[in-house]
Amino acid sequence: MVEKFVIQNLSKTFSIHGKQPVEALRDINLTIADGEFVSIVGASGSGKSTLLRIIDGLESASSGYVLVDGQRVTKPGHDRAMVFQQDSLLPWRTVLDNVAYGLLLAKMARPEAAAISQRFVDLTGLRGFEGHYPHQLSGGMRQRVNVARALAMDPQILLLDEPFASLDSQTREIMQSELLKIWQAQQKTVLFVTHQIDEAVYLSDRVVVFSARPGTVREDIAIPFPRPRELSLKRTEQFGRIVDRIWRHIEGEVRRAMGLEERTGEGVRT
Amino acid sequence: MRSAYQRLGLGQDTWNASLARNTLSLVILLVVWDVVARFLVTNRLILVPPHEVLRALLIDARSGELLTHSIATLTEIAVSFPVAVAIGVMVGVILSANRLFAQIAEPLLTAFYSVPMVALAPLFIAWLGLGFGSKFAIILLVAVFPVIITTEVGLRSTDKVFLDAARSFNATPLQIFTTVQFPFALPYIIGGVRVAFARALVGAVVAEFFGAFAGYGFAILAAGQSFNTGRLLAYVVLLAVLGMVGSIALRSLERRLTPWREE
Repeated sequence: MVEKFVIQNLSKTFSIHGKQPVEALRDINLTIADGEFVSIVGASGSGKSTLLRIIDGLESASSGYVLVDGQRVTKPGHDRAMVFQQDSLLPWRTVLDNVAYGLLLAKMARPEAAAISQRFVDLTGLRGFEGHYPHQLSGGMRQRVNVARALAMDPQILLLDEPFASLDSQTREIMQSELLKIWQAQQKTVLFVTHQIDEAVYLSDRVVVFSARPGTVREDIAIPFPRPRELSLKRTEQFGRIVDRIWRHIEGEVRRAMGLEERTGEGVRT
Repeated sequence: MRSAYQRLGLGQDTWNASLARNTLSLVILLVVWDVVARFLVTNRLILVPPHEVLRALLIDARSGELLTHSIATLTEIAVSFPVAVAIGVMVGVILSANRLFAQIAEPLLTAFYSVPMVALAPLFIAWLGLGFGSKFAIILLVAVFPVIITTEVGLRSTDKVFLDAARSFNATPLQIFTTVQFPFALPYIIGGVRVAFARALVGAVVAEFFGAFAGYGFAILAAGQSFNTGRLLAYVVLLAVLGMVGSIALRSLERRLTPWREE
């Protein structure tokens, strides 16, 4: 296994002037191999999105660092691309122009950018919608454009921040299996943040469980299922057992995050 | 049962249907006006029927006065309004880019925006005379603030998720401005421009009231002083037409510039 990127002793505390500082992440250590698909699950407010933003370079760490291919991350770069949680497509650009956005910002000539973008429009099943504006598309199609826009940059690392959270459950399942197909064809290293445990288990080689605020790595679980994986995998017993096991880790954290239980110091044991 | 309105297709969103709707409302206005002038308000100093307004308009057209006044007012608007828009957008951009400027300028802007600038018209006439200069200054002053404010608000309220996406793709500050902030602000700016146009018309007329050699406001004042109600209303109608034409033109410009917006 070749390591693609390393997160070393990373912590993040947000201090907003005049307010109590908020500790979002504490001492995160993670190593992710080249071509690996890793998911992070955790209760809301466990700093998952913050970690992704730090890896992307949109936010800086309070201490510790992120290494990509041995290089320290200080700002966004073309080796990483982010698929955002909300709908971040530019409403004034058509589908093709949105997919080409990153390429055009990088000063690529328009015909070349359009040709590359067309490939990813086709790959994500959006052919025929190149000239549509985002508001003319369904939520699932918009998120596919979002994925295509990130892939068009040909990044080595794809960062996905709850990309399917706003989709209905049927659309979400289809998008999950589409994402797997694309990942297998493209061989990217993927870090996927979600709060849906079954989504994480279905997609990933490894699922990293985060504790509630401050986020810390609680458990790192290898997912043994062979690939390619069918959606029917989700209906198997072994799948259910793994989901259950992760849920037991998270349940206490969710309750604590909701203020239902006092912190006990010791988490749930398995 | 379909209503006559539906059968005639007046509710449709086509050019012809919209023309038909506008014609219908114009006809209703003229009929009501005519009936009121004939049977309710018979004092011709207060109200004259539409055909007398048309006659007054034709008299001025023949004498050449109509052309003189039209040239004066249209020139004032055609020069001052675009300058006001350009300056407004520029100042708005500067204010949105510089927090300190914005904080210093905000109370001033609010004051200038809420003070009826036309109250300064007599002062500008005294400074700049009865000709074009004073009109230019007054129109600029009344029209520029809505554009400054909407430009600044539009640029400043750009969705954070769009800014993050651009930064995530390594966009430079200039690229972020041209590909994210400005397109985001454009509908706001156009809204401000529309308000500015309406205010520019008011500014022109009021400036002409306070002293001018020609213009619709000048003609209205003169007609009022000689109790020529038909002539007075003729120029008011012209102003209404000017306002409508401007508003339609700006609306079609808006559709052209912001094709992504939902109808």
